[in-house]
Amino acid sequence: MINFFFLEAFKLRHKLRSWLGPLLIMILVLIAFPLSIDVSQYDLNKFYFSVIVVSLLMISFLATESIFSEDYEDGSLEQLYLEEKDFYKIVLAKILTYVFFIGIPMAIIGSVFSFANGVSVTEVPKIFVILSISTLILFNVFAFGSALSINKGSMLGVLASLPLALPAIVLLGRGVRTVQYGGGFFEVSALMAGVALIVMAIMPIIISATLKTHLE
Amino acid sequence: MQLVTANNLGYSINEKRLFHNLTFSLNSGCGLHIKGGNGSGKSTLLRIILELTSPSKGRVDYCKPNLQVSYLGHKNAIKHYLTPMQNLELIFKSSALPEAIKWMHTLGLNKVQDELTANLSFGQQKKLALIRIFASQSDLIILDEPFVGLDNTSRDLLNEFLQKKLASDSSLILTSHIEPNVLCSELVLTDNADD
Repeated sequence: MINFFFLEAFKLRHKLRSWLGPLLIMILVLIAFPLSIDVSQYDLNKFYFSVIVVSLLMISFLATESIFSEDYEDGSLEQLYLEEKDFYKIVLAKILTYVFFIGIPMAIIGSVFSFANGVSVTEVPKIFVILSISTLILFNVFAFGSALSINKGSMLGVLASLPLALPAIVLLGRGVRTVQYGGGFFEVSALMAGVALIVMAIMPIIISATLKTHLE
Repeated sequence: MQLVTANNLGYSINEKRLFHNLTFSLNSGCGLHIKGGNGSGKSTLLRIILELTSPSKGRVDYCKPNLQVSYLGHKNAIKHYLTPMQNLELIFKSSALPEAIKWMHTLGLNKVQDELTANLSFGQQKKLALIRIFASQSDLIILDEPFVGLDNTSRDLLNEFLQKKLASDSSLILTSHIEPNVLCSELVLTDNADD
């Protein structure tokens, strides 16, 4: 499992476009949005979180689009299956690598931008925690979408899996509100962590079965 | 010693029957050359033997537990954005890497080891992919058209390697329109499965 994680990290490190692209787009969106509308700082503080949440959703969507398609197209997926006879560990390692290399930096960027928009220093770690958990859930969901339509252009499947991501977004919104207006942060973050654990346990099994079906 | 047995294998796709009632076995140290025209189901049969594809009928049994299988299909399973050396680092564990690097030198790929694989010729990419077979310790080697794109020297090298592997009790199943210089039994798939 750790070996797969390092192999995936090795691959991702050399695919600059796959990890740097989504991060740069996120930064661009977060900078461009306040510049493109004329609002007071007071109003911006109130709704800037929505921009962070929506950009997190869209960038997760973008980052996982080709998570399996490259290995499927060049035949690596077949070789991995012959080696392991199952995709579970491979899928889990792949998702965790993407979360580590793209999801966590996204959460850091989101936290920094929320600080720049009026969140106090003490609240920034809370934002980081809920954004990190959200990326974990979103990457699992969109990885499933990507696996679903791996041979027909992954974007189609990722779009189809979008409704599954909405509960995570609702939870994230609730978490953000607790940070902004106080109260119940621990409860909401614990709920999100629970959902993330369940998703992380189930999704790789479903994705493994989906990938095996596509190999056939 | 029997290594693989196939019993009453059949495969149909879109109501077209590719083959049916196919029964054969393969012993250690033996080779099997699967022949047939385009679309006769050679690659599908290999994938069924590898358990990548489920047969419509029948089954394949491996007689040896923990059988080490190495396979090279139509897809090379190499990364175009990595150099040949990085590809080998990705494929092989550190213990097998020196052997893989030795093969890279033998195949003349050391001259391009720091170039991106995307910039290599078709034949060079095929040779890089074949190192997966050359440097692996396996009981069964399964190859799908391994000679395509190779120059005469590399073909001779591959034939020599396969002869040595058969002599050392490994087994071989391959499909090839280019006649291999290896002693193999032949299995011919006809275009009409009812034959």
